[in-house]
Amino acid sequence: MTKKSRLYNPLAPWLFLAAPLTIYMIWVIGPMLYTFYLSLTKWDGLTAPVFQGLRNYTRLMKDPVFFLSLKNNFIWIGFFITVPVVFGLALAMALNKDIRGAKAFKALFYSPMVLSLVVCGLIWSWLYNPSQGLINTVLRSAGLGELARGWLSDPKYALGSIITVAIWRQVGYVMILYLAGLQSVDPFLVEASLIDGANKWQSFRHVILPQLRPISIVVMVISIIDSLRAFDLVSVMTRGGPYNMTSVLANFMYIESFNNYKMGYGAAISVILFMISLVFIVLYLNVVMKDES
Amino acid sequence: MKKLGLMLLALILCASILPIWGSGQTEGAAGASEKGMVIYNSMNGDPEPRRVDEKLVADFAAANGDIEVVHSIIAHEDFKTAIRAYLTASTPPDIMTWFAGNRARFFIDKGLIMDISDVWEDEGWNQSYAKSWQAMSSVDGKQYFLPTSWYWWAVYYRPSVFDSYGIEEPETWDEFMDVCETLKSNGVTPFAIGTKYRWTAAAWFDYLNMRLNGPQFHIDLMIGKESYADQRVKNVFTEWGKMIDKGYFIEDPAAYSWSEAIPFMADGSAAMYLMGDFIRDSVPSSIASDIDFFRFPIIDPSIPVGEDAPTDGYFLAANAKNPEEAKALLAFFGSKEVQEYTANELGRLPTNGEVDMSIFNESQKKGIEMINTADFVAQFYDRDTTPEMADEGMNAFMEFWDRHTAADIDRITSRLEEVRQELFTE
Repeated sequence: MTKKSRLYNPLAPWLFLAAPLTIYMIWVIGPMLYTFYLSLTKWDGLTAPVFQGLRNYTRLMKDPVFFLSLKNNFIWIGFFITVPVVFGLALAMALNKDIRGAKAFKALFYSPMVLSLVVCGLIWSWLYNPSQGLINTVLRSAGLGELARGWLSDPKYALGSIITVAIWRQVGYVMILYLAGLQSVDPFLVEASLIDGANKWQSFRHVILPQLRPISIVVMVISIIDSLRAFDLVSVMTRGGPYNMTSVLANFMYIESFNNYKMGYGAAISVILFMISLVFIVLYLNVVMKDES
Repeated sequence: MKKLGLMLLALILCASILPIWGSGQTEGAAGASEKGMVIYNSMNGDPEPRRVDEKLVADFAAANGDIEVVHSIIAHEDFKTAIRAYLTASTPPDIMTWFAGNRARFFIDKGLIMDISDVWEDEGWNQSYAKSWQAMSSVDGKQYFLPTSWYWWAVYYRPSVFDSYGIEEPETWDEFMDVCETLKSNGVTPFAIGTKYRWTAAAWFDYLNMRLNGPQFHIDLMIGKESYADQRVKNVFTEWGKMIDKGYFIEDPAAYSWSEAIPFMADGSAAMYLMGDFIRDSVPSSIASDIDFFRFPIIDPSIPVGEDAPTDGYFLAANAKNPEEAKALLAFFGSKEVQEYTANELGRLPTNGEVDMSIFNESQKKGIEMINTADFVAQFYDRDTTPEMADEGMNAFMEFWDRHTAADIDRITSRLEEVRQELFTE
């Protein structure tokens, strides 16, 4: 105790934090507050912003594209917290054994994560190409030509086609997270449950899964935040088209701000996206901090 | 303390999703501005224009050893989103490519563009450029823009394909529709089009509107003086919708960029493409000598003929750090020699009246003739109207493409009308 008090200086942590906090204030908090301010203005990016109160927000509430984008974000979340989580967990369970080639499989499933989203978007745009793309070509040569379609141009399929790519990329990531989580599962408990007569499913459901709870929460929150951040794939593959059917909030914000030069309006979209994210993040942090204390 | 930590963490996580500051804020190409340097940003991203652009810069640098040109070529679509950041940066690019007409006027009115009347005067452009080009570049008698090249839009086709079905260039709407029927009955889709970036569809709107309702109505619609809910606009969509329903366009156009739809022409599965003359830069060499064009057919001979002939050129940033060097480069771009060279290499038409007309090939002469015999020349949908209106309009064209019953057309036009009122009455 005496040793500690001699070394302990209440200012020390703040001194260490000073440099990163300063940078953080200038580059992150500052612009963020400025975005809040901009959302209350009308700004074309050229002349000075004109303050106009909540007008951008009232206009947003009447903008069908905004609600379409919001809906698409939630559809994205819906798929993202189910499909990749189930597949990722299944893969993790399957590969968490000393079977031959497990490492190679892990690497294979993780490899899409190494590619940037833009690259994924381009590759899949080619796969989806209606006349020469791999998917339609295979379908046609297998005699399933009626299933071939304009994957990214048909409004019924475009959003699903993009989310598929996102899921394809996400599965390996979720798998890695669960593989890490499985290391902390106590093998004796699993063994004990099996000896006590539980079958494999019961052991998984009642012994392994509860122990994975912290990881599951991390996976959920990451999935939700990634869904809200969705931008790159949409921007590369459809730019939100056809006619906004695949628009998501981040893409909508980008088009309004940098294509239509409605910076204030774009900032208002950002702020709403921020609020939605904040809800999930605070929920997450609450859970994490409760677990820690 | 815990509360504070929680809030801080929340902010850190949230900040990663506030992307508005992540992109678009591009600074000028280089920071330092020493004597003897000029920063030049251009949007000549396609391979052929890029080659010519780089060659011109190299020639200029060779002839002016004391001036270093810092040249950046930015892809067309990206350039259009970055231009405002360029113009308002503390160190803007000194000289930039841009569109003549309303798109330039917008920045001129904001005081972001340098007055280059002195260059017009010193280079004798007031005499060597036709009055119409000078007028297009002037505000209150001062020149702010240098138009250097223009091109026409037309219906492009392969003569060999037309010949094999015994088809001739149509001049009237009935002939045009007959051509489409003949092609269709031979299993050939009449039109290639790639609408991923939407503007290719805007060309159809421009032409159908000008042919059905006349260029004056068209341009009034573009500048917000006429209503999108007007019956005349609905007629345009109705006529266009008939063509889509008859299968005159390739399937899934929204999946292709404009140039990705060219292979349909190259392999003979589609016959025509409503496009600007820059289509020649991108056709495969196998059909390069098998490309010709005709004027978008006349629907009503009593209506004046309007054509799209977009003009490109250069302007200087008002707060350019290297105005003298930039003016030297501008003078170079506006010179007879450079325009001759560009016209030869790219087929774009020069604006400098001193360029020897005999250098033009048959295709260029045909294009000039077509524009000279038009009653009105428009720039293009997204150049003639405001960026916001163009964005909404082009989205509407895409929606219309999939849904074009009479009720859909009513709904789409009335929404466009709401947007017009919002944008043009503020």
